[in-house]
Amino acid sequence: MAQATLEKRGFRNSPLETIVDRIWRFFCSVRAAVVEIAILAVLVLIGTLRGSSVPRWIADAIPATEGIVDRWYGWDVFHSMPFMLILAILTIAITVCTLNRAPGIWRTINEPTISTTRGFIRNADVSANATIAQPVESSLDAFTTSLKKKRYRVLSEEHGDAVHVYADKNRWAKLATFPFHLALILILIGGIVGARYGFKENEFIIPEGSVRDVGHGTGLSVKLDQFSDSWREDGTAASYRSDLVLYENGEEVKRDSITVNNPMSYGTTTFYQTSYGQAAQMRITDLDGNVLYEDATELGIYRSSTNPDAPAGIITLPQSNLRLNVIAPDEDRANAPMLDTLNLESGQMYVQIRGTGPDAGAEMQDAVLVQGVPQEINGIVVEFQRETRFTLLQVASNPGIPIFWAASFLLVGGLFATFYFPHRRIRAILDRSGEPGVTQIALAPLAKRDWSGQKDFRGVVEDLQRRLQTDFVVNERASTYLERPAKPASNSA
Amino acid sequence: MEGMVRLSFYLFAAASIAVAAAWVCYMVYAVGFIRLRRTALATSTGMTVTGSSTEHVPGPMSAARFGSLFGWFAAVFAGLSVLTRAIASHRGPYSNMYEFSLAFVFVLTLAYMLFERFYNVRQLGAIVMTIALGMCLYLWSLPPRMREVDALNPALQNRPLMTLHVSAAIVAYATFAVSFAAAILFLIQLRKNVSWLPSAEMLDDIGFRAVTIGFPMLALVLILGSIWAHQAWGAYWSWDPKETAALFTWLVYGVYLHTRSLRGWRGQRSAIILLIGFVAVGFTYYGNYFFGGMHAYGGVN
Repeated sequence: MAQATLEKRGFRNSPLETIVDRIWRFFCSVRAAVVEIAILAVLVLIGTLRGSSVPRWIADAIPATEGIVDRWYGWDVFHSMPFMLILAILTIAITVCTLNRAPGIWRTINEPTISTTRGFIRNADVSANATIAQPVESSLDAFTTSLKKKRYRVLSEEHGDAVHVYADKNRWAKLATFPFHLALILILIGGIVGARYGFKENEFIIPEGSVRDVGHGTGLSVKLDQFSDSWREDGTAASYRSDLVLYENGEEVKRDSITVNNPMSYGTTTFYQTSYGQAAQMRITDLDGNVLYEDATELGIYRSSTNPDAPAGIITLPQSNLRLNVIAPDEDRANAPMLDTLNLESGQMYVQIRGTGPDAGAEMQDAVLVQGVPQEINGIVVEFQRETRFTLLQVASNPGIPIFWAASFLLVGGLFATFYFPHRRIRAILDRSGEPGVTQIALAPLAKRDWSGQKDFRGVVEDLQRRLQTDFVVNERASTYLERPAKPASNSA
Repeated sequence: MEGMVRLSFYLFAAASIAVAAAWVCYMVYAVGFIRLRRTALATSTGMTVTGSSTEHVPGPMSAARFGSLFGWFAAVFAGLSVLTRAIASHRGPYSNMYEFSLAFVFVLTLAYMLFERFYNVRQLGAIVMTIALGMCLYLWSLPPRMREVDALNPALQNRPLMTLHVSAAIVAYATFAVSFAAAILFLIQLRKNVSWLPSAEMLDDIGFRAVTIGFPMLALVLILGSIWAHQAWGAYWSWDPKETAALFTWLVYGVYLHTRSLRGWRGQRSAIILLIGFVAVGFTYYGNYFFGGMHAYGGVN
């Protein structure tokens, strides 16, 4: 007599397949995703605290941590390798996980499993059953109509004496997880595109009446026509405004006024109002009257080393190997005479002339200039024409912005669709195994530990009761959270 | 306009009293009483043995009803206080911590009352009203000059975006507070299984539903903040501490949402993450006190 033996068939993968499979499963794992997001959160927290006084409090409370705190303040977390690495891992995880889940979600939407088991209904957190005094066909019709009124899709198939029913609603919202996760990747791509192909000038200074080139291959230059500010009675700033003229390759292309919250854009380049300051209109000629410099010099970007309250600016004259330090009157009159040794009056500027290049270190003259009076110093004629102001702009071009906006839309839309259109599912068995012309119906939702899903199911059952004029028995299990874990069943013969 | 500001303050005072009254009622209802029970037993010898025992009983339903009544009063008074201040300032009143916290008390009490109505549970009020009461006390502790309506500095002069950005933040923080309350009661239920508290399933659901409002709202905060930063600062993301603190909070709730689909995590561990999430909310909320950066004008002085 032949003896049949059963043995487990071994599907042995190659080592490479095993490694790929493990990596794939790692990136698909929700557990790993939780750890990755938690690590990212911790790094973000460390970076956030670095911008606060909390580490300093720690160092003050525990002097032994001084060294760690100093390193903490010195560590640029958001541009560090660990931060980039965790972002890269999360990006890969989102991609792999999406690819892995997509077929299953698509099947759930389009080809769900209709058949179910009585065990599923019996073990559900909540279930309902009833005896309907109608044949299965008409019971199914009534059941289907009732569910469709509640926006459920109803699918059924015959299994012997029973009809198995699968009903669901909001199935398309299951796809919303993809735009949401795609949005997270797009935000990173937007950031990379912006950093790679954009530029940002944080301190773009234009004195009134001057023109400055934007550079970065844009062919743009900007003129500050006028700067104006307004103040409230309590001394706080109400607004400051720059009237700008924009040139492209020397041709005027735009004229606009910008304030702090109203930038000016041209193409992908945007000009933002940031701050402003004092400037001095200067004219410098050689002894023959040839103009070496005629422009406004911004003051306040530099400070006098002996008096930090005195705004200062620098003019370089490469053709004359000279540098002029222009120092304005002290803003705080109370500094005199200790700090304000120059004791300049309004309408005066102090100029230090220093040699550059081969003339560096040469002893040269200093002078106090009076507004409108040209003065010869070290072979040049310097004139302080008038006080004026400069505007401080930020100039930025970020081609990643459209990607970021698209990602934002997908992110919020995806979240709302996921949360507010939950996929509700119900399984039912309509049985004709009892008396002729009578249907036994049992149904349960796929809503384990889902209070809202179960509430929705109870609503469906109430509706069925009304329509079918039949009393349903609703079975509810006690709190599954409070159940003790079951002991493993022992094997018995 | 001065009168409107004063009226707003009086309405806030009324809201504070209502919050305090609601808190007392909800605490009585949720905590219940320790009842002393005396028993007398006649023995066969004719002696009577007396003894006493204690039992923990639920608070009276009338306390819960009064809690709800005061809760609605608090929401209405706080809402009117925000409204009158908005009329006085011609904008969403969110330019300093006084205005922001006042709006938070309003949205917190309103959000809670709506959850209470939807789920028909009142025990959460004991925790939510504790937070609301704490916020009222914080508001009273702020310097009186912060109650004045100040004009906006140039950086904040974007009324539509400021109103939307900060409103979204307030809704997010308020719903996270509700989820925090639900998580605490959930953890109590897991350990004590108190008969008169809502079921663990319902508390889990309340926590989750609250996060499903707060999480997209916090995403909106980050996005609207980015749009505003793009207009005002020239960069939609600057790694500013307040920005990254909000991102941290969002990530913590992201962890929570993922753990809900993990066997062994949904339930107790998820609830603990909700507690951590609310600590992160507090960190972000009060960050203006210890953050530098571009949100430093957030009005703590």
